[in-house]
Amino acid sequence: MSAQDGVEARNARKVYGTGQEKVVALDNVSIVIKRGEFFTLLGPSGCGKTTLLRLIAGFETPTSGTILLDGTDITYDPPNKRPVNTVFQSYALFPHLTVAQNIGFGLEMRGHAKAEVDSTVEEMLALVRMESMADRKPTQLSGGQQQRVALARALAPQPKVLLLDEPLSALDLKLRKEMQSELKRLQLETGITFIFVTHDQEEALTMSDRIGVMKSGSLLQVGSPREIYTRPADRFVASFIGETNFLTGVLGKDAITLDAGGTLPLGASTQAKSGSKVTASIRPEQIRVIETDAPGSLPATVTESVYFGTDSHCHFALADGTEVVVRLQSPASGDVGLSRGQNVFLRFEPGALMVLEDQA
Amino acid sequence: MSTDSDRLERQRNRNGWLLSTPALVLLAFGATGPLLIMFVYSFLEPGKYGNVIWEFSTKAWFNVFVQRDIFDGTLSPADAHLTILWRSVKLSLMTTIFTFIVGFPTAWFIATRPPRMRTLLLFLITIPFWTNLLIRTFAINQIIRNEGLLNTLLLKLGIINEPLLIIYSDFAVFIGMTYVYLPLMVLPLFASIDRFDMRLVEAGYDLYASRWQVLKRVIVPIVKPGIISGSILVFIPSLGAYVTPRILGGGRNMMIGNFIELQFGQGRNWPLGAALSVILLLIVAVALVVYVRFANRGDSNV
Amino acid sequence: MFNRSFSISRLPGFTTIAILVFVMLYLPIAMLVVFSFNSGTSVAIWEGFTLEWYPRAWANEQVKDATIRSLIIASTASVIATIVATMAALATTRRKQTRGQTFVYILINQPLMVPEIVTAVALLIFFASIKVATGYQGLGYLITAHAAFCIPFAYLPIRARLEGMDLTLETAAADLYATPWQTFRYVTLPLVMPGAIAGLMLAFVTSLDDVVITLFVKSAGQDTLPTYMLAQIRRAVTTEVNAISTLLLGLTVIMLTAFFLLTRKRN
Repeated sequence: MSAQDGVEARNARKVYGTGQEKVVALDNVSIVIKRGEFFTLLGPSGCGKTTLLRLIAGFETPTSGTILLDGTDITYDPPNKRPVNTVFQSYALFPHLTVAQNIGFGLEMRGHAKAEVDSTVEEMLALVRMESMADRKPTQLSGGQQQRVALARALAPQPKVLLLDEPLSALDLKLRKEMQSELKRLQLETGITFIFVTHDQEEALTMSDRIGVMKSGSLLQVGSPREIYTRPADRFVASFIGETNFLTGVLGKDAITLDAGGTLPLGASTQAKSGSKVTASIRPEQIRVIETDAPGSLPATVTESVYFGTDSHCHFALADGTEVVVRLQSPASGDVGLSRGQNVFLRFEPGALMVLEDQA
Repeated sequence: MSTDSDRLERQRNRNGWLLSTPALVLLAFGATGPLLIMFVYSFLEPGKYGNVIWEFSTKAWFNVFVQRDIFDGTLSPADAHLTILWRSVKLSLMTTIFTFIVGFPTAWFIATRPPRMRTLLLFLITIPFWTNLLIRTFAINQIIRNEGLLNTLLLKLGIINEPLLIIYSDFAVFIGMTYVYLPLMVLPLFASIDRFDMRLVEAGYDLYASRWQVLKRVIVPIVKPGIISGSILVFIPSLGAYVTPRILGGGRNMMIGNFIELQFGQGRNWPLGAALSVILLLIVAVALVVYVRFANRGDSNV
Repeated sequence: MFNRSFSISRLPGFTTIAILVFVMLYLPIAMLVVFSFNSGTSVAIWEGFTLEWYPRAWANEQVKDATIRSLIIASTASVIATIVATMAALATTRRKQTRGQTFVYILINQPLMVPEIVTAVALLIFFASIKVATGYQGLGYLITAHAAFCIPFAYLPIRARLEGMDLTLETAAADLYATPWQTFRYVTLPLVMPGAIAGLMLAFVTSLDDVVITLFVKSAGQDTLPTYMLAQIRRAVTTEVNAISTLLLGLTVIMLTAFFLLTRKRN
């Protein structure tokens, strides 16, 4: 496998409109997605993730930059000439064709023999467990079933890359969970590169090999789900993926002196200069509440406690008034035993406090 | 490289024009182009046996409004033309108002039925809309003519001794136009009432409005776009009506459409006919402009 | 006493007026149909049932001629109108609205906005010159005129259909290796078809019903059914016209029912 295997975008830029209405949807994004990878593009709506997907699919051409597939420039190839298929957000199943005809469409357009089309269709129907629905029309299917047909249709021509544009957003929670593991299974079975677009951080964390977080047309961070969650590159990534607390302070050697008082060790080294003002983040589940002072803990006052069922979110005020949220697992009684105004100490898990690079 | 996507966009636009061309050519020859030629004809001299002589003249336009006395050459307003114009506008307005008065309750009735009933009633309104105008006018003719159904019935019942002379009057034209153009009022009214949120009526009653107040203060203002479209859809064809006044109005009760035809037949004054057509077109244009203004204002209100 | 529940959407008198409107809308047409089977010639006094007016109308050479001419014009004009309207609808929908498209849209709908009598007069003037210049007197003029005013009627249902169509379907076809032509042939066209058929039927009915434009454009001896009927209406005995009207009515109702079922199916 050479280094160029897979999908690559080089300085891809896409601008819509001109003059005052000019919108930069994608701002010089470069990314390499490896062959056989389950890659997720994650970000809020309007961040450019769908635009990047459409450039890879060939539905649009970049204003500048190139798109490569296995080292070949495909930037201006029309979509029908690319070995790339898409599962659309709306599924886009042809309403005048049956399920089987929908699945066989791509192979037919490519001019495959009828027998071959039929056997692949059958294979695909089995793969997505829809054998009994072959002769139905899409309107006679439930949302989850339509989803499966859309998947089968996109997989049938055995593309090198499968693009999925928020395919689960129209499904209800239970079905969504089911389809998540279904998708993961299909990806492992077929070995096809999946590029998955979503705004749902949980979906991204549970399914992906790697995640690319996007905002305002730029790629902010690329990494495994664990890297993204535990070592967010900046304030946006930290807050978009999971909840987090931000604390400001002055950087020392492998430690930070917080504005709220106290000096705490850092989880990892940072590129920020010693002595500079920085922001650090810590996840709510990585803070413990203790009754008495201990090394590496800060005094705090309870301001509010919100019950969420499995856990409670307790809000605290530090000495300088900074708000910190701590997630506490609910005990059997459901009451975490903290009342407003109570003075406690917060102990940060060693190595959990991360300095955000963009603040340096 | 940015030119590449621009080129695609331009190519799409070019294809767009290419695809539209056959329709545009056909319309240019069969509708729009002739209108421009007609405008030119209104500035020519009438030929002795119809058609025109290619000499510039404003006489036709002059004659629309003013007539010259045959004997002493004095000028006076062209009463005949103005009477016909006025009759056309008056009858069209009356038709518009009356179709609204009966059309609104009908549209409301349809819109408040259960879905299946509503579809059926809507279909029943649509059938006359697409049915030959001539046939419908003819049907009215058979009802109101002197030996028609209405008179025969009333005579037999002894309610009248003489047939009512309805046909060949302005009133007959009014009845006929109301009858043939009613669906054009009901359909847009239905469309806007159908979109109307009935909870607003509940809110109106909840805030102590009476039925009449709810109608006047809540319903009518909200369905106004439908009222305006309906009125325009009835007014424009009424103004240009030809078949209905010809069948029900008789020779004396002409509307502008029939008077225009006359100039191309016995009148042998094509330029005058063309000028009158342009005037009719202008009135319609004004009505359309008013419509667009009102419709837009309605949008910004809602 | 009156224990009738208060209905929100009920307004006093509306129901009565609506029912009266429906009765008044259908009564004259119903009478016209009924008296086409009257054995007498009166349109008010029933003298017994007969079917004789139908064969008698058909035996009239003028009626037969006019019927055939009407059908030739209506079918030719509606097919032409539908084809060009489909092309124009493909060009003017489903993309960013440009000034050029708005212009096309206005031109296409122009026959709906201009009073028929004005178009008729304008066509008379225009075609008169061409008739003199070329000497051609055939049905071409009527077909051109009919096709032109049928365009908006064909265009509207096709446009509605295209606008209701999910654009991503075409993108999906391209994604699945369909060339632009294949996309049109296997996705766009089958999906537009119900709209095109509906447009064809509306155009056909519109052409078949036209009186005013035909009256002004036709050359001598080119009567269509409606212009023939118009000429007959002033006569005292019109039962033959009743029979023709009934047949035309039947045709219209059949076409409309089919149109209704076609357009409803998409929901």
